[in-house]
Amino acid sequence: MPNLPMINPQLLSMSPEQVQALMPYFLVCGGTIIALLACVLRVLSPKWPVFLLTLATCAVGICSSIGLLHNGTSVTLFNSMMVSDPFASFFNVLFLASAAITAMISFRYLDREKIQHPEYFVLLLFAAFGMMIMTSATDLVMVFIALELMSLSVYALVGFRRTDRRSNEAAMKYFILGSAASAVMLYGAAMLYGATGSMEIHAILQAIRTTPTLMTPLFTLGVWLVVAGFLFKVASVPFHMWMPDVYEGAPAPVTGFMTTGLKAAAFATFVRVFVSLGYGHALTETIQTHFHNILWVIAVLTMALGNFVALTQTNLKRMLGYSSIAHTGYLLVGLIAGSASDQGYAPMVVYLVAYSVMNLGAFIILTVLASRDDGGLNLPDLAGLSRRHPWLAFSMAVFLFSMAGIPPTAGFAAKYMIFSAGVQAGEIPLVVISVLCSAVSVYYYLRVLVYMYMRDPVGSPAASRMSAWSTVALAAMVAMTLQIGIMPARALSAAKKAVTSL
Amino acid sequence: MNQVEPWVVLSFCAAIFFIGLTGLLVRRNILVVMMCIELMLNAVNLTFVTFSKQLEHMGGQMAVFFVITVAAAEGAVGLGLVIALYRTLRTVDTDDIRLLRD
Repeated sequence: MPNLPMINPQLLSMSPEQVQALMPYFLVCGGTIIALLACVLRVLSPKWPVFLLTLATCAVGICSSIGLLHNGTSVTLFNSMMVSDPFASFFNVLFLASAAITAMISFRYLDREKIQHPEYFVLLLFAAFGMMIMTSATDLVMVFIALELMSLSVYALVGFRRTDRRSNEAAMKYFILGSAASAVMLYGAAMLYGATGSMEIHAILQAIRTTPTLMTPLFTLGVWLVVAGFLFKVASVPFHMWMPDVYEGAPAPVTGFMTTGLKAAAFATFVRVFVSLGYGHALTETIQTHFHNILWVIAVLTMALGNFVALTQTNLKRMLGYSSIAHTGYLLVGLIAGSASDQGYAPMVVYLVAYSVMNLGAFIILTVLASRDDGGLNLPDLAGLSRRHPWLAFSMAVFLFSMAGIPPTAGFAAKYMIFSAGVQAGEIPLVVISVLCSAVSVYYYLRVLVYMYMRDPVGSPAASRMSAWSTVALAAMVAMTLQIGIMPARALSAAKKAVTSL
Repeated sequence: MNQVEPWVVLSFCAAIFFIGLTGLLVRRNILVVMMCIELMLNAVNLTFVTFSKQLEHMGGQMAVFFVITVAAAEGAVGLGLVIALYRTLRTVDTDDIRLLRD
């Protein structure tokens, strides 16, 4: 082993720009740790302080991320292990907003389920923090650590209803499969390291560009293992089995958080690593086609399986789980088209935002409607909802229309962007298949609508009073869904600003 | 001093990794499954160290420390989940995890 090189003192100090670029991370990390300490103060009944601290942390983090987004600079941090650029800031806003809304809707839910432990909010913050680091990581070890920070918090959240068997089983399944996927991804990272001598994704690309002979089978295998790890996290077809089970077993607000934050984080990191590993401009022609073909097949299978299995589901959480798999397929279309169309990955980013908004909205409603232990979420339980809770039914209808891609909602605008990018990239067959799958999905989304509006209520409806927090969150989600649907240009220009920094 | 060839160590790592992966897929006891996950992570650690030695680059050995720490955290969370599961299910056999199925 050679002598250790002297540590460059520059690496140990931080310039004011770097401190400024790290502000959201400092604030969220600090807020999380304070919230963790506040949990210990049992005598003060920590539920309110921790809850408010969570909201404050998210708000502060969102404000400073928006500031960085307007600033628009990319700052490389920690010896290029991390980068704080508009892409990361854009997604930080999404993660923190999703964590804040999840916290808002969970408050009453936790009371009702008698699991009001303040640690819930801390886990939520830790997961959001993990997502933030993951999206800005440019080093595979950093990606792994952030991924685990996020996943470990989410495993615990999924199993949060400790006395409920379904929740335990879901958490256990997710833990085992998720850990195995992380290990596979890490093995891929080790292979990339062995092949190129670096774990920093830009350095890997640089090494491959300058010496193409480094592209050994070891390198290719490493790339595939890393990609497999990501495909697991986004739940695309060969690795999708965990998703419906986990969605059904997890507490409803946690499921909402998983559909939005987790998937957005996995996709954002996927895009960053993917682009940096040279998809689209650096690798050889053969590998490019190879990659493209395999992703193509995966996207088609994901869309088809998600949509067709969702047709037969009666549990709403499970149905939304399969619908989430289908949406992964559409997002993969955006990923495939992204490298060839002139919009780049912007349509995919808009889709992620639209998808997050409408899914979070739908899960707010499920959280409000759920009876003890998340029962009462089967399709017949929604019968006559329009008469019992007209506004809830209306909001649900907006989200379902959006998921099915019917104008004037966010889902339509985002799908339109993704598909037109696909056509531009010359992926006509893929787009045709996506549109057909999307047409199939209308059936199971509208079936919910039929139950809500055209069936008579059965039995006596449980009076579930919404908390003011949930009402605010729900109104915000409905407004966002319609806003993105009616004025998609703003979302698109924000997304474009974000992806140009990649 | 005699040195072991890197490819010998790397094949050894690959073997351990696949023993772990196979165990994960076929074993039914959750505690054994968790051990298999640890086995996979440790195989990765050994791979990192081998490459680090081969490339004369310290990054790989640094990564190992992080992986060890994360593996410990993972074990803690995993055992917590196993205990919660045992309380409701009275078993740690994966065959009995069957409430959530298609």
